Amino acid sequence: MTDVEERPHKKRRFFVDDSPAAESSLPRANSVADSSQPPAHSPPAVESDDALPIDVFDTGLFKAVVGDGLPDSAVLSLQKRFGDNLESAINAYFDGSWKTPSPQKPPSIPQATAQKPPSLSKQLSKDATSAQKSHEAATASSPPPKPPPLEVMPSKRYIGALGVAGWMTKSGSGLLKPGDNVKIERSKQRPSQKLGAGGKIRQPLRQKVDVIVRFIDSHGSELGRLEQEPATWISTLLDQNVCSFEGHCIFAPERVRTNDTVYLQLTCYLLKQAFDANNYIRPLDNNRQTGLFEAKETQDERDLRMRQIGLVKLFQEINLHPSQINEQTAKHKREGILQAAEVAERYEVDGSTGKKHGSDSGKSTPMENPGSSPPSEGNEEGEELEQDQLDTLYRKAQSFDFNTPEAEPAASFDMDLRKYQKQALHWLMSKEIASTQDHKEQSMHPLWEEYHWPSKDVDGKDLPIVAGVDAFYINPYSGEISLDFPVQEQNCLGGILADEMGLGKTIEMLSLIHTHTSPEQKAAMNSSGERRLDSVNSLPRLPKSSASVEPAPATTLVVAPMSLLAQWASEAEKASKHGTLKVMMYYGAEKTANLQTLCCAANAASAPNVIITSYGVVLSEYNTVASSFVGNRGSHGGLFSIEYFRVILDEAHMVKNRQSKTAKACYELSAIHRWVLTGTPIVNRLEDLFSLVRFLRVEPWSNFSFWKTFITSPFEKGEFVRALDVVQTVLEPLVLRRTKDMKTPDGEALVPLPPKVVEIERVELSTPEREVYQHIYARAKRTFAANVEAGTLMKSYTTIFAQILRLRQSCCHPILTRNKAFVAEEESAAKESDIANGLADDMDLDSLLERFQADEGEQDASRFGAHVLKQIQEEAEMECPICSEEPMIEQAVTGCWHSACKKCLLDYIQHQTDKGEIARCFNCREPIIARDVFEVVRHDDDEDGDNGQNIASKALMGAIEDDEEEEELYSSTQLDQAKTPTRISLRRINQLSSAKINTLLSQLKKLKRAEPATKCVVFSQFTSFLDLLASALHTSNISYLRFDGSMSQKDRATTLTTFATRPKFTVLLISLRAGGVGLNLTCARRVFMMDPWWSFAVEAQAIDRVHRMGQSQEVKVTRFVVQESIEEKMLRVQERKKFIASSLGMMSDEEKKLQRIEDIRELLS
Amino acid sequence: MAAPLPKRIIKETERLQNEPVPGISALPHDDNARYFDVMVEGPGGSCYEGGVFNLELFLPDDYPMTAPKIRFLTRIYHPNIDRLGRICLDVLKNNWSPALQIRTILLSIQALLGAPNPEDPLNEAVAKQWKENQAEAIKTAREWTALYATAKK
Repeated sequence: MTDVEERPHKKRRFFVDDSPAAESSLPRANSVADSSQPPAHSPPAVESDDALPIDVFDTGLFKAVVGDGLPDSAVLSLQKRFGDNLESAINAYFDGSWKTPSPQKPPSIPQATAQKPPSLSKQLSKDATSAQKSHEAATASSPPPKPPPLEVMPSKRYIGALGVAGWMTKSGSGLLKPGDNVKIERSKQRPSQKLGAGGKIRQPLRQKVDVIVRFIDSHGSELGRLEQEPATWISTLLDQNVCSFEGHCIFAPERVRTNDTVYLQLTCYLLKQAFDANNYIRPLDNNRQTGLFEAKETQDERDLRMRQIGLVKLFQEINLHPSQINEQTAKHKREGILQAAEVAERYEVDGSTGKKHGSDSGKSTPMENPGSSPPSEGNEEGEELEQDQLDTLYRKAQSFDFNTPEAEPAASFDMDLRKYQKQALHWLMSKEIASTQDHKEQSMHPLWEEYHWPSKDVDGKDLPIVAGVDAFYINPYSGEISLDFPVQEQNCLGGILADEMGLGKTIEMLSLIHTHTSPEQKAAMNSSGERRLDSVNSLPRLPKSSASVEPAPATTLVVAPMSLLAQWASEAEKASKHGTLKVMMYYGAEKTANLQTLCCAANAASAPNVIITSYGVVLSEYNTVASSFVGNRGSHGGLFSIEYFRVILDEAHMVKNRQSKTAKACYELSAIHRWVLTGTPIVNRLEDLFSLVRFLRVEPWSNFSFWKTFITSPFEKGEFVRALDVVQTVLEPLVLRRTKDMKTPDGEALVPLPPKVVEIERVELSTPEREVYQHIYARAKRTFAANVEAGTLMKSYTTIFAQILRLRQSCCHPILTRNKAFVAEEESAAKESDIANGLADDMDLDSLLERFQADEGEQDASRFGAHVLKQIQEEAEMECPICSEEPMIEQAVTGCWHSACKKCLLDYIQHQTDKGEIARCFNCREPIIARDVFEVVRHDDDEDGDNGQNIASKALMGAIEDDEEEEELYSSTQLDQAKTPTRISLRRINQLSSAKINTLLSQLKKLKRAEPATKCVVFSQFTSFLDLLASALHTSNISYLRFDGSMSQKDRATTLTTFATRPKFTVLLISLRAGGVGLNLTCARRVFMMDPWWSFAVEAQAIDRVHRMGQSQEVKVTRFVVQESIEEKMLRVQERKKFIASSLGMMSDEEKKLQRIEDIRELLS
Repeated sequence: MAAPLPKRIIKETERLQNEPVPGISALPHDDNARYFDVMVEGPGGSCYEGGVFNLELFLPDDYPMTAPKIRFLTRIYHPNIDRLGRICLDVLKNNWSPALQIRTILLSIQALLGAPNPEDPLNEAVAKQWKENQAEAIKTAREWTALYATAKK
C-alpha cells in the first residue's frame, strides 16, 4: 500500500486497490445469501461499451439504454452516484462496478483478508441503493451533480495526525533526527494464521497475538517499534487495511541507544479499500451453508472487535469528531463501545476457564460454540427485564396508527377480516414487497456516525479537496466505513407479527399467504386454470432431485408447536375457498414425501401452498441434515432441501434461546420471506428478541457481538434507557403489535369480546381434609421457623418449597400429597427436618391419610337389591322430601334406601350430628352414617353418537370398579325397558372425592341440567388432580376429555376436534401448562380454575384460551379457592405483586430466592 | 329472613292452598311467609267435635332441619296441651324428620285431639283428671270446646 499517487488513472486504481477485496470474495462466492436478492438487482455484466455522450441525467433515456428491467431504486442509485454523467452511469451499470467491484484481479496482497465473507457487499450495496432511493424526493426536480464517492476517492486520504512514543531497536548516532520521515509497517514476522478458507486454523494462544509495529527508515531497515499500547490498535488497522500511517520524528536523542524512547508524529490516512465493502470482516456469516463450524468465526469476531477498538481509539487520538450522530445513540456512544470491548477482553483473559461456564448456560454448545467466542461467552443469558421496562418497550412498539392503509385479501380468502386485520395485511405485504416501501425521509442508520474529511492537515496546510466527497461514515460498532450515506433500512423481507393473543395472528398470516404469492405461483395457477384440459401441457415436468437447495416458490412453511398443528390446518382450511389452498401436514408418518420434488418451481401448480410442521420435526431433520448432508442438504429431500417462498414461526418465543438447537435449526431454514409470530417477542430478556432478529436475518442486528455491544452490554451496565432505545429502533421497522385493549379513535375496542366474569368460589374443606391440611401446614411452618432460626433458609429452600407444594395439593385432594415422587421428596425433606427438629411425626400424616381413605368407603353395599334400585329409580323423578326440589339434585340414598338430594341428606346428617344426636334416616328413622350415603349415577343421558361404545366402556369400567369401590348394582334396561330405559348405579359419595371435587361436580351437574350444550374447560396445574377429576366425572356420568403435555400430537388434535364438535355437554380437563399457549378453546364458555398459580398472569393466559377472539358468548370463570388456606394467601400474594418473576421452578438465582422467601413468609403467616 | 324463601316452604304453602286437608287450614301472613294462622277442626266422634281451634305455626330458619314451632291459640282442655297452648307431640320434638311437613304435622295434631295420651302429659292437672275420672274430663273438654272453640262464627 505504498501507492501515494493522489489521482491515479481510474482503471489502474481500480485494479490495484480493489484486489484484496476481489480475492476475498472468491472463496465463498457461491453463498446462498445472494439468492435472496431480487434478480432484477443483478444486471448482466456484459455489453460493456454501449454509452451515450449525454450530460444531463435523464432517467427515461437511461432506461431506454439499459432496459426497463432495472428497478427504480437502482436507477436512483446510479443517478445519485453519477449525477448528470449519464455516460458514466451507463458504463458503471453495465460493467457492474456501480454495485460491487468486479472480482477479476488475482490477489496481489495476500493479507489478513482471506476469509471475509462476501454477503456484506450485498448489504452495503443495498444500503447504498436505498440511500439514494430515499434521496429521490430531494433530487427528483434538480439532481445535484455528484460524482460517485468511491470512484473519486483517492487511494488514501488524510484524516489526522497523532503523536506516539516508540522505542529504538538500534543504537547509534544520527539514525533518527527530528523531522525525519519514517515508514510505519507491521512486523514481517507475523505468522499468517488467518490464511486458509477452511477456517479451522486458530491461534492457539490469543493472548500472545503479535502487535508489533515497526518504524523503518527510508532504506527499509528497522529503527524501532511503537509502544505497546498504540501498537495494539495501530497494528489492527494496518493488518486490516483500514489505514496507513506515515511517521516523522518529533524528538529523538542525538545519539540513540536501544530501548531509547523517541517521539513520532503519525499522519493517518484512511485507505480507499477500507471503504470497499468486501474489505469488511463480518463476524458471522448468517447465510452460510452449514451452521456447523462456528469455531472459525471466533477469529472473525475477534478481528471485528479489534477493528472497532482500533477505529474508535484512532478517532479519539486524532481528535476527530463526528459531524452527525443519530440523536438517540449519541450519548455515551463511544464509551459504550470501548467498555464493551474491554468487557469482552476481560472475558477473553479468563476465556479458558470460562468455557465451562459458557457451556453450562447453553446446552447445545459442544458442536457449535466450543467456548471460543469470547464476546458471546459468559453472560449470554443476559439480565432479566423488569416488568415495567418490558411495558415501556411494548408501549412504544405498539403505538399503532389506526389510519394505516388497509389491504383487501385475495378472492380465494374466505373469511371476513376486521379493519385492523386488513391493516395488518397491508403491513405484512409492504414488508414482503420491498420495492413498494414508502419513501420515507432519509435518516441515518442509528449506528453510524458521519465525519467530515479534514480540510487542513495537522500543520494547517490545505489538503487536496475531493469534489463531492466531504464526509465519510463510520459504524463504530462494526468497524464498517463507508462513503455512502448509511440509511436505516430494513433489508429483511419479513418481520415480527406480535399482535396480542386472540387478535388473529394466524388469520392475518393466512390472508397474507393468499394475497401475496410469488410470480411463479401466479403463473402456475393461471396456466393450470386455463389449460386444465390440455393434459399434455399441464403435466408438470419431472423435476430432478437436486443436491442444492431448490426454490419452492409456491410454498409457505409454517413451524408451530405441536399442540397447534391441527389448529393451523383447520384454520387454513376454514380461511380458504375450497380448493384454493393446498395444505400439507409434515409430521410423523406424513414425513415420507420428498418435499423438494413436491414443491420445486416446476411443480408450482401442484405444490402444497402451506406446509405445517412442528419445531420438533425441524430440529430432528436439522440434526440429520447436519450430520450427513453437509453441503448437499438438497438431497435429503426434507425441510431443509428447499427455499420456501415464506417461512413462518408460530409462537416464536419457542426459539427465544439462541443457544438452543431448535433455534439454530430454525435459523437454517431458507426462505425469501421470514416471519415470526408471537404475542411476547420479549419474554424476559433482551436476548429473546435477538434470537428472533437472528432468525429474520435482520442486518446487522443478527450479529450477536453487534447486538451485544449495542444492547446487552449497556443494559448490563445499567444503562437501560439507552439499551431499550436501541431495541426500540430495532423493533420499530420490524414489529407490528396491537393489543386487545387498544381502542380505535372512536373509542371502540379493537376486538369487541363478549364480557368475562371471574368469580371466586370459596371451598370449605371437610374435617378429615382439614386435618391433613393442618398437619402439613404445621410442619411446613415448623420447618420454616427452624430454618429461620438456624439461618439455613437459603439452603433448605427446596425443602420448604416442596412442603408448600404439598400444602397446595392438599387443598385439591389430600391424596395428591401421596404422589410417589412427592412422597419420596417429602420423606427426605421430613428426614431433614427431623434431624433439625428432633421430630418424627410422619406417622401422624399417614394415619390421617388412612382415615381419609377409609372415609372414602369400603365396599358394603350388597344388601341393596334390585327392587330397592327400582324404587330408587322411580323416586328419582320425584321431589326431594327435604327441600322439595323436583327432581332431586344429585339424588342420593341412605343405607335404608331412602332418597333425597345429596346435599339435603348430608346436611341433615350433619345437623343431627352437630346436635349430638345419632343421625337417623329422615324417613324411617333408622340410624344412618354419612359414609353409607350413596350417590345415584344415572346413565340416561349418554351421548347419542357413540352410545354403544360408551355403554361398553361403562360396563367395563363397572366391572373393574366392582373390585374397587363402585357397585354397578342394577341395570334397569333388562327389567323395565319400556318405562325407564335408564341405567343407574350407586356410588359411595365420598369416594375419591374432596371438597373441591364435590363443589366442581355439583356446579357441573347443575350447569349440565341448565345448559345441556355448554362446554367447560377445567384447568389444574396438577395432572394427578386431573386424573382424580377424570374419574369423578366419569362416575358422575359427565362426559369429559383430557388434554395434557403427555399426549401425542394426534391425540391432541383429536381431542380438540372432539371437544369443538361434540354437540353435548362436555368438560375438557387440561393442565395449566399444556393449555397456556396458543390453543383456541372458544367453543367453551365456562372456565374452572381448580387451583391458583403464583402469578395470575399465567391463569389469565389460560383463561384467554377461551376468552379470545372468536368467542361469541359471555365467558364465566370460576376460580376455586379453599377457605382459610394457603390458596387464599396466594391470592393475596398475587394481588400484592401482580408479577412474581417468571416461574418458581427456576431457583438458580439467589436474589429471586430471597424475594420469594418473603412470599413464603407471608404464605406461612 | 334475609334469605329468599326456600322452595320447600313455597311448595308447601301452595299445596296447603290448592289441596286443602279437610278440617284443616293454614294461611301464611302477608308480611311473614314463615308465620301461619292455622285452623284445626276437632275430629268427629271426639270430645272436641264441632270445635274449631286456632293455632299459630312458625317455620324456623333451619326448617326443615328442625320442626316447626306450633301452639294452640284457642283454649283447649287436653292432657298433652298446656295452658299456654304448647303441644306435647313426639314428631315436634325428637321424632321430627325433615320428611314431615306442615300438613302432616297438623294431621298429627288433629289425631292427637282424637286420642289424648294422659300417660305422657304436659298438663298434669288435666292428665290426672283424665286418668281418674275420664267421663268428667271428657265432659269438661266438651264444655271448653263449646265455650272457646265454637263461640264465634
